[in-house]
Amino acid sequence: MDAAINTQNYRQYLARFQSLIALFVLCVLISFLSDKFLTVTNAWNVMRQISVNICISVGMTLVVLTAGIDLSVGSILALCGAVTAGLLRNGIELQSSNLYIGFTVLGACVAGIIVGSALGWFNGWAITRFKVPPFVATLAMLTIARGLTMLWTKGFPITGLDHKFAFLGTGWFLGIPLPVWISGIVVISAIIITKKTRLGRYIYAIGGNENAARLSGININYIKIAVYTIAGALAAVGGLIITSRLDAAQPNAGTGYELDSIAAVVIGGTSLSGGRGSILGTVLGAVIIGVLNNGLVLLNVSPFWQQVVKGLVILAAVIIDKANSKNE
Amino acid sequence: MRYLTVIKQCSLYFLVVVVVLCGCRSGSDQGRHKKVAVIVSTLNNPWFVVLAQTAAEQAKSLGYETKIFDSQNNTAIEADNFENAISAGYNAILFNPTDADGSVSNVLEAKSAGIPVFCMDREVNSVDAATSQILSDNYSGCVAIGKYFVEKLNKQGKYVEILGLVGDNNTWNRSKGFHSVVDFFPGLTMVAQQSADFDRNKAMEVMESILQAHPDINAVFCGNDAMASGAYQALVASGKANDIKVFGFDGAQDVIESIQNKKIMATGMQFPKVMAKTAAIYADEYFKGKRDFPKKMPVAVELVTQENVNDYTGYGKKE
Repeated sequence: MDAAINTQNYRQYLARFQSLIALFVLCVLISFLSDKFLTVTNAWNVMRQISVNICISVGMTLVVLTAGIDLSVGSILALCGAVTAGLLRNGIELQSSNLYIGFTVLGACVAGIIVGSALGWFNGWAITRFKVPPFVATLAMLTIARGLTMLWTKGFPITGLDHKFAFLGTGWFLGIPLPVWISGIVVISAIIITKKTRLGRYIYAIGGNENAARLSGININYIKIAVYTIAGALAAVGGLIITSRLDAAQPNAGTGYELDSIAAVVIGGTSLSGGRGSILGTVLGAVIIGVLNNGLVLLNVSPFWQQVVKGLVILAAVIIDKANSKNE
Repeated sequence: MRYLTVIKQCSLYFLVVVVVLCGCRSGSDQGRHKKVAVIVSTLNNPWFVVLAQTAAEQAKSLGYETKIFDSQNNTAIEADNFENAISAGYNAILFNPTDADGSVSNVLEAKSAGIPVFCMDREVNSVDAATSQILSDNYSGCVAIGKYFVEKLNKQGKYVEILGLVGDNNTWNRSKGFHSVVDFFPGLTMVAQQSADFDRNKAMEVMESILQAHPDINAVFCGNDAMASGAYQALVASGKANDIKVFGFDGAQDVIESIQNKKIMATGMQFPKVMAKTAAIYADEYFKGKRDFPKKMPVAVELVTQENVNDYTGYGKKE
């Protein structure tokens, strides 16, 4: 009897740390095969590379916790990066009234984040006001935002940006790369929101049982719009980092990023049907994907195999998660 | 609820009216002046935007009505574009295929409808489907880059190759052309070959990881210019930009500027504007009765280096 309880406790204990264990196994495996993996520079390298995915995935986690999904993050990222780059480079020129508005780095960044929030708000508005399924509403936004990016850039990359702006993506502060600072701040704020605030509890409540949440007096529409707006804003932050790192805004930046971030969310153990999951899990998911990307290149694995391996890892993560949630 | 159904019905009627009106317009347009369709594999890449826009502008300046169709790198969407162009009564198609084999049936469909197809940049694997194919010679272009690469490295050193989309013909044409030269020199060893999907950001991330494994490389060859820019950015961040030579392919505006500033060693200049203009002029000649076009017309890729870069501008020669 005692032994049975012990094994069950043990299993639950294991389930809670499954992503951490997976990450550990992965790291041991890669460092065994390549001596270049476990170095300080490579660690910063991986952290810097995943910072964009972490920003997007944190927003995605909040959305998924409400049992929604946001497919538009990659396109919003591209549009916001392009808007910021365009404003920095060209400003706004109104020929009719002979007016020229120039932008400082901060102003252009704020403008980019405002655009991202506005598109995110629009997602939430369409979903709550017209009862459009989130999958469809954000799929539409995926196309709309990509089209707007093409219109804004006319299909060409915007290059030659302010050197001060490049600092955002390439600079260091207290020995840590700036993109890592940004994603760290995003993660900590999101953890505080989900664990300590009313908004966080409402997000979980809506995802757990929307009707029960409504009957207990939660303004569901308000919370949902807030969540999609945050997701849009965080996609914009990701767009700023990418644009700054590349010193260029690419019109086709961020294609497929929604899938990377959904993968991070799922590997991190958040349930796609909502109500269950955590920010920290998502961060681990993003780190696993980042380590995998980095490791496969370090080992010079053929590009064909890389895609197969990544798919298998996602599948394995979900299967393990399913098995564990049955045990609970 | 009731007003919703009213709206639904109204919008349905509106749609029908629009469709009928469009149908009438294209019907009455026929015979008055000719229309030329530009069907391009993707508009998600500046190179193809230049190709499509130049073709459309040239056809327009020759007096034809034009429209650009975007196939979004998808042969199925391309098939829809062909059907739409044929039923909308376009008289010629300036065509940039998504796939050498997959696009053949689309071209044949246009041919059986009596519409001439002029291929630009990429070819379709059929001898008689297209009226003429004006092609960029990726393979020999990369042979030229390979030769310059060997010369600049003094036949000695370690290098990295960054490939484009691994499912794309041109990725391998370029890679094969490059290796057909470089592989003859045993002093040159390729320490990593990775894909970055023709994407600037992916190339930067891949390059950052490669630099961890092989900090002592001497050069990197990239399958297009966007990736060359991304790889260069990674070199700058790691402080190795002066030690590692970057080679690209395409002749994009920002890489031409980088070569001028001695940041990137060389690129292969393709001539999208020349190809697009030639295709539009061929269509014009076809309407005027000419029928004997060269089945394949290769447009040479020129090597742009730090020595001759001042003769070039983005996507072509200085005029």
